[in-house]
Amino acid sequence: MADDKKALNTEAAPKKRLSRRDFLVTGGTVVAVDALIAASPAAAAAAPAAAPAGSSAAATYPASKGYLVYDSKKCAGCTTCMLACSLVHYGVQNLSRSRIQIMQDSFGKFPGDVIMAPCRQCKVPVCVQSCPVGAAYVDTENGNVRRIDSAKCIGCRTCLRMCPQQPHRTVWVTIDGKGKSSKCDLCLDTPYWDEKGGPGGKQACVESCPMKAIKFVAEMPDQKETEGYDVNLRNDHWYNLGLVDNSTVEPKRNPVWKVGGGE
Amino acid sequence: MKGGYTGKILRVHLTTRTIGTIDTAKYEEFGGGHGIGSAVFFDLVGDQLTFEAFDPRNLIIMMASPFSGTFMPGSGRCEVQGMGPMLYPVEWFAHSNFGGRFTAQLKFAGWDGIVVEGAADEPVWINIVNDKVTIESAKGIWGMDTWDTQEEISRRVMPGLKYGEWAELARDQATTQSPAVVCCGPAGENRSRLGALLHGPGSQAALCGFGGVFGSKKLKAISAIGTGDVPIADPKAFMAARLWFRQFQWDVDNPREAERFGAGGPYALISGRPSGGNVLNRDLPLTPARATACASCPRGCRMRLATGDSNESVCAGTMVITVNGSVKFTRQGNDLMQKYGLGHWQLMPLLSYIDALHKKGILGKGKQIDTDLPLDRPGTFAYADAVMRAIAYREGVGDDLAEACARFAKKIGRYDQDVNDGTLSLAYWGTANHYDPAIEAEWGFGSLLGERDLMLHQMSNYPIHWMAWSGDPYLTAEEVSRLYTDAMVPYQGDPFMVDHSDGPTGIYSDSKVKQVAWIKHYEKFWVGAGGFCGWRWPMCITNNTADRRGATPEAEPKFWNAVTGDNRTFADYMELGHKIYTLDRSIWALQGRHRDMEVFPDYVYDKPSVGHDMTMYIDGQWQYAKGTGRTLDRAKVEDFKTRFYKFEGYNPDNGYPKRDTLEKMKLAKVADLLQKRGKLG
Ligand code: SF4
Ligand code: SF4
Ligand code: SF4
Repeated sequence: MADDKKALNTEAAPKKRLSRRDFLVTGGTVVAVDALIAASPAAAAAAPAAAPAGSSAAATYPASKGYLVYDSKKCAGCTTCMLACSLVHYGVQNLSRSRIQIMQDSFGKFPGDVIMAPCRQCKVPVCVQSCPVGAAYVDTENGNVRRIDSAKCIGCRTCLRMCPQQPHRTVWVTIDGKGKSSKCDLCLDTPYWDEKGGPGGKQACVESCPMKAIKFVAEMPDQKETEGYDVNLRNDHWYNLGLVDNSTVEPKRNPVWKVGGGE
Repeated sequence: MKGGYTGKILRVHLTTRTIGTIDTAKYEEFGGGHGIGSAVFFDLVGDQLTFEAFDPRNLIIMMASPFSGTFMPGSGRCEVQGMGPMLYPVEWFAHSNFGGRFTAQLKFAGWDGIVVEGAADEPVWINIVNDKVTIESAKGIWGMDTWDTQEEISRRVMPGLKYGEWAELARDQATTQSPAVVCCGPAGENRSRLGALLHGPGSQAALCGFGGVFGSKKLKAISAIGTGDVPIADPKAFMAARLWFRQFQWDVDNPREAERFGAGGPYALISGRPSGGNVLNRDLPLTPARATACASCPRGCRMRLATGDSNESVCAGTMVITVNGSVKFTRQGNDLMQKYGLGHWQLMPLLSYIDALHKKGILGKGKQIDTDLPLDRPGTFAYADAVMRAIAYREGVGDDLAEACARFAKKIGRYDQDVNDGTLSLAYWGTANHYDPAIEAEWGFGSLLGERDLMLHQMSNYPIHWMAWSGDPYLTAEEVSRLYTDAMVPYQGDPFMVDHSDGPTGIYSDSKVKQVAWIKHYEKFWVGAGGFCGWRWPMCITNNTADRRGATPEAEPKFWNAVTGDNRTFADYMELGHKIYTLDRSIWALQGRHRDMEVFPDYVYDKPSVGHDMTMYIDGQWQYAKGTGRTLDRAKVEDFKTRFYKFEGYNPDNGYPKRDTLEKMKLAKVADLLQKRGKLG
């Protein structure tokens, strides 16, 4: 499946073998996305009427009224958010079912030792655009959240290949013994949590994160690369613990090295 | 079984190279973790006791708990059990544990635990990928340090794994995570009694020498990765409990009394603030770093640094080696200890002892114990490397040092003299003195009536000890005694349980008997069977709430019942802890434990204490007082023990569990074996 994707990428930009992330970096997002749709008849069929497949105009989707931003320098890698996500949606705890993925390299160097990967609720949701059966959709009744109806999903994995993020934010799960795609719904549908989710509601990952490293925002973050999403959520209280992201930063208060009375 | 368990325990026999399973349901009555581990140990080898720790009959048992793989706060630890070659004079059936994400991955792979039997004829490692379990050749890995081992095994398990991408273990089994590997280093391979198990760069099972047991089995490592579910009996209640628990956490954006508790000193360790466990990144300019947590821990006491050194090491893992003038080389020196796989809590007293012997002119070039080690250059990286290398590879005098403190001292004929005068301060079973048994008596008694250093920092000693030492305690001695003991169900309401005076209500009192029993029961059930972190639990008080009440005893059953579907009280589970403790004591009795052995070395009784501020009830007043100059009274300690044995249902003449005690706990078969061996109380 990864090979299909590479072939498409190459076709979209023959001079440079693009990674999924490059679609966002180059600013050629729309062109690349259109090229992908043109190359995929099934996906083209699912494109919204407002943006006919192959047209040079941007595919327009009503913007989501909610987004998750996060601070990958604040995350401690506890995976609580992942287990909360899995719990409220499926009633079990399983990292593989989580719609936010936290990866870490214990032997790595800060800050590259943690990668946070929640869904971006993209301006142009390629998952929605590419789904051949409309299982991935924009929920216009609920804040335009980009969702996947797993019941409708036929298991073709197109949205896994098409999500431009690395790792893809569409999540492959087993439901009733069948492989299906799923994705972050900003906690709109949480059978195991009696909280209202979605825009204006609560999100299990946000609520459970002990480091407050994930935040719900209503405004669309900058869509280029990750800067718009991976933001600084730390204040002086954080730096005062002695946790700096830059060796020139001097915490306002001596964090730990002046010991009064102790050893 | 409704929730928490996957239903099966993995059983690997290395001699016959067979792989089997044990139904978890058979052992459910023991809770999980340590409880199941003890029961499995008794069933598989109890009637063969006693034999040596390096005998292939010894077991390595790593039991997960119902909480492993869930977001139960601070439950990410893995309990390791088996006979511990570090311990002295008997290699007791013992436990050690390490943090990280090993048990979480084991559970996702579908296993409640793993039992390793026998010994391989050549080096192997165990590969667990969901329900596929294989015994693999460790060719090319045997001889590697613990860090390289883990990275190499990850590559072998998932050759296509790219950090930051999805990988499929098999069709429909996708994960972004890397395998969780636990391994021994060169020290373990060479059967060092200091051999630790390492998981990640800094998570050690430091005590008891289980690295050496791995080595004796020619077992280099166990790797686990899984993509399955951990079932939860009542998901809604569990989610509600987790969000309820937030009130007890350090609020990272707006901490309560930040000036006081966010500052340095002792509160860095006890306030629950992130990252305070690594003491090697405190000097300006600070090395950029993140706070790092074990699976599901809201505290995140560790760090990962921009330099990549001392990653995930905490406390003693950052304190054993000092390289003068360089915090960087100090971090790397401690990392070297992790890579060799040397247990920090035994290496620390051993290095002090080496230094003391060198200063006395006994150990060194051309001395009574002749060695080329550069002992005149302590505080250098070269010294640290040379000494640790000698121990890990058993080179020269390192061969004797690898026998760990007690046996090394015995070998050179100095054990009695050096231990009894405190030159080598091994307070209990060959493990190092930690908190002063004459003042913080519950720590001393809890260790002595166990099998190794207690190492449970959140027991009353720790929050009180460090709070008092801060010079700025947030509760008065009276307040903390009342609040603390309010939480100690089922003995709540007796503040004298934390009276550290040597008066009538103090360290020899019936109240102290109850406190020590409470500690052993909590240790066995909640910490041992629940996989709890001893830096997080119990939480009888906390600086993070307005009324200073902690989450204990409300949190534990709230979480346990939601996960498992049980419906029992805190006190019920504490009685289960009593049962597990009684089973452990029965195994020790089979190994030869008698009350006459449960005595401290002479120095603990004879050497006047330097004292430490603790809660004491003196002349009708609660106060923080030091107890400086106090010595433990032998007769009073013996009298304390007599009352403790009676309280627990053991025969005070010998400390053996009694038949009616065992039968009430549905441990009749244990009573039968004890009787057969003449060890029934
Ligand atoms: S799943 Fe991927 S493409 Fe779809 S909205 Fe999320 S980040 Fe965008
Ligand atoms: S918002 Fe809800 S669905 Fe989305 S990642 Fe967070 S917990 Fe999961
Ligand atoms: S809960 Fe917060 S700190 Fe823990 S892994 Fe998720 S984002 Fe990181």
